[in-house]
Amino acid sequence: MNNESTVAVAIDAGELPLGGGLLALVRPALQLLEPGGVLAINSGHDGLQDDLSVWCKVQQHEYLGHEPAPNVVDPPHVSIRHLIRRGHLSVPQGDRETGMRLEARNGKLRADAVLAAVPMPETADPRSGFAPRGAQVEPGGPRYPFDLLESRHVAPPEVAKLFDQAVESQWDGNRDIPWHNLPGHAPDLERAIGQVFTFLAENELSALYVPSRFVSRIHPAYAEVAMFLSTQMADEARHMDVFLKRARSGGAGLGVSSVTTSQSLLSLLELTDFTEATFLLSVLGEGTFIDLLRFIEDHAPDDVTAEIVRRAGNDEARHVHFGLVHVRHALANDPGLYQRLENAVRRRAAAMAASSGVPEPLQDGLTVLAAGSTQPRAIARGHDDFRQLLEVMHTNRMKRLEHAGFSPAQAKTLSELHTPNFM
Amino acid sequence: MPSDTSILLGAVAYDPKVVSIWEGIRDYFNDAGAPFDFVLFSNYERQVQALLAGHIDIAWNTPLAHVKVQQHTQRKSLSLGMRDSDRDFHSRLIVRSDSGIKSPVDLSGKTLAVGTADSTQARILPLHFLKECGVDLKAVRMLTFETDAGKHGDTGSSELEVLDALRRGDADAGTIGDLIWVLEQAAGHIDTSLLKSVWTSPPFDHCMFDAMPDLDAQKIARFKSALFAMTWENPEHRRLLELEGLRQWMPPREEGYDSLRAAVADQGYPL
Ligand SMILES: [Fe+2]
Ligand SMILES: [Fe+2]
Repeated sequence: MNNESTVAVAIDAGELPLGGGLLALVRPALQLLEPGGVLAINSGHDGLQDDLSVWCKVQQHEYLGHEPAPNVVDPPHVSIRHLIRRGHLSVPQGDRETGMRLEARNGKLRADAVLAAVPMPETADPRSGFAPRGAQVEPGGPRYPFDLLESRHVAPPEVAKLFDQAVESQWDGNRDIPWHNLPGHAPDLERAIGQVFTFLAENELSALYVPSRFVSRIHPAYAEVAMFLSTQMADEARHMDVFLKRARSGGAGLGVSSVTTSQSLLSLLELTDFTEATFLLSVLGEGTFIDLLRFIEDHAPDDVTAEIVRRAGNDEARHVHFGLVHVRHALANDPGLYQRLENAVRRRAAAMAASSGVPEPLQDGLTVLAAGSTQPRAIARGHDDFRQLLEVMHTNRMKRLEHAGFSPAQAKTLSELHTPNFM
Repeated sequence: MPSDTSILLGAVAYDPKVVSIWEGIRDYFNDAGAPFDFVLFSNYERQVQALLAGHIDIAWNTPLAHVKVQQHTQRKSLSLGMRDSDRDFHSRLIVRSDSGIKSPVDLSGKTLAVGTADSTQARILPLHFLKECGVDLKAVRMLTFETDAGKHGDTGSSELEVLDALRRGDADAGTIGDLIWVLEQAAGHIDTSLLKSVWTSPPFDHCMFDAMPDLDAQKIARFKSALFAMTWENPEHRRLLELEGLRQWMPPREEGYDSLRAAVADQGYPL
């Protein structure tokens, strides 16, 4: 047995028996070898060859034999050198991240830095399962049911940065809202507020559920997208929570859920295409919600109400930003997508054809909220403000659509076709 | 009854996974152009009878069943293939560190735990080989674990019983196959300060696909070509190979059963 020249890695195993920890040295050492590479194990354990050769057979490595170890001085017992040639089966695919050292910047180690160090592949293999991007993957694993497998459809490059921002911007709906400062309002006004926040909470629930349908379809090679969506879902959960608390803090409780809202949100929930759903939910829906939340903030009769919608609005801006970069990224890679997105808006409009306008309980709630009271002259002003809000929403929606990459004419058509439910 | 074209294989249901294994292999064989079905038996004696009577085309046999089929066909039966893991099996003598047993001859006056009467690796062959190295078996107290008789030691349950008996101190030594010994160690189930192996038997071979000498040549050709086309790198094959405990199917060889033939003759084991 003369394999001196071919030994690539050697380990000193002392007197460890195979079942007493030896494998914790042998297995990682074999991982360092290419198939065909030879591992030398110096061992003082008597009869190790019998166990080691069986283990090699099971693992399809080749047990080459054993011989007295050269130059044994210490420890004093006889040491035997065993040689194993690494087999060709089950060799993990991909390169090892040898020498990978992420460095903090300004004391922070961001997801964005990880993405830069370990870029996303253009396409992903559903057989790598939940293996983190960059891990070596043993071949032969089962196929996972992920079907969002292409970076061009799934993963805008800005997503890690947005995840970092989202994590930094998390707030606490129990602690960060000055709940103790809530003043009393006239019952009519408080009822209007209860109605508006009922509507908001209902829409938040849909914004929580819609992304959840896509998270489990995203290949983990694009984990940052799932990670961002999980922050979005946490945001929506918090929004729903604080909105319901607000409705129940002033004596009015919840208002009415209308059929228009129900139909509109079902048509979102039923979408199966990730980009279509992101476009309808985030670019059009949450975009429109930003204007709605600002309207409520501007007319809020107290600081608690204003602070709730201000904080929620900040989160929504991030969701819209994600929607925009997602859609722009997908549009840049797939010109046929313009038509598909337009068709999705038209299909939804057709499904909503029976509902003629903004849900009535919401119209009335927003009008009274903007009026600040039920005095007829105040109501007339509130009604004007509400009509202006619809104009502002339409204008800003067209801007966002142009920003996403649509022509002004397309933007106008799509904005006009948007759901009267806002989301 | 086997049909004219479809291969009918018999296997013993020693574990619920056997159903998944053979359903998977059946689907694979059918897709690979080798029409195939299987029947499950509860024990190897019944399976061997069925093969000898022509009720099945091929039997997936333990070494004991293989030797039995050869005995009843005057060694004219056909051996079609085996697992890589069936080659060069050994039995081991495992002892408690505090038993004072350093080699087989120290067994005299001690308690030896052995597996089921029909287990090749945990009973028949280790006793045969121990006798060959000079152990007076009459001077050894036997502690036997007759679990799953008829399964020929396939379940490994009697070997695990042997290890448990050693852990409890009910026996000083025990005989098991080296595969279980190494797999139990690799899984971290063995306290190596308490138990150690002091003897390894000569090598012997394990399972074999047996057929009667008159099996249709077409069926044999189709069976072999589909069997040997299975590869570890193919995930669908790999699932089945992993379940059946191998990485590669191998051609048959007979010399690995010589010691078992001698052992059953010497021990008067009824074939
Ligand atoms: Fe929200
Ligand atoms: Fe949102």
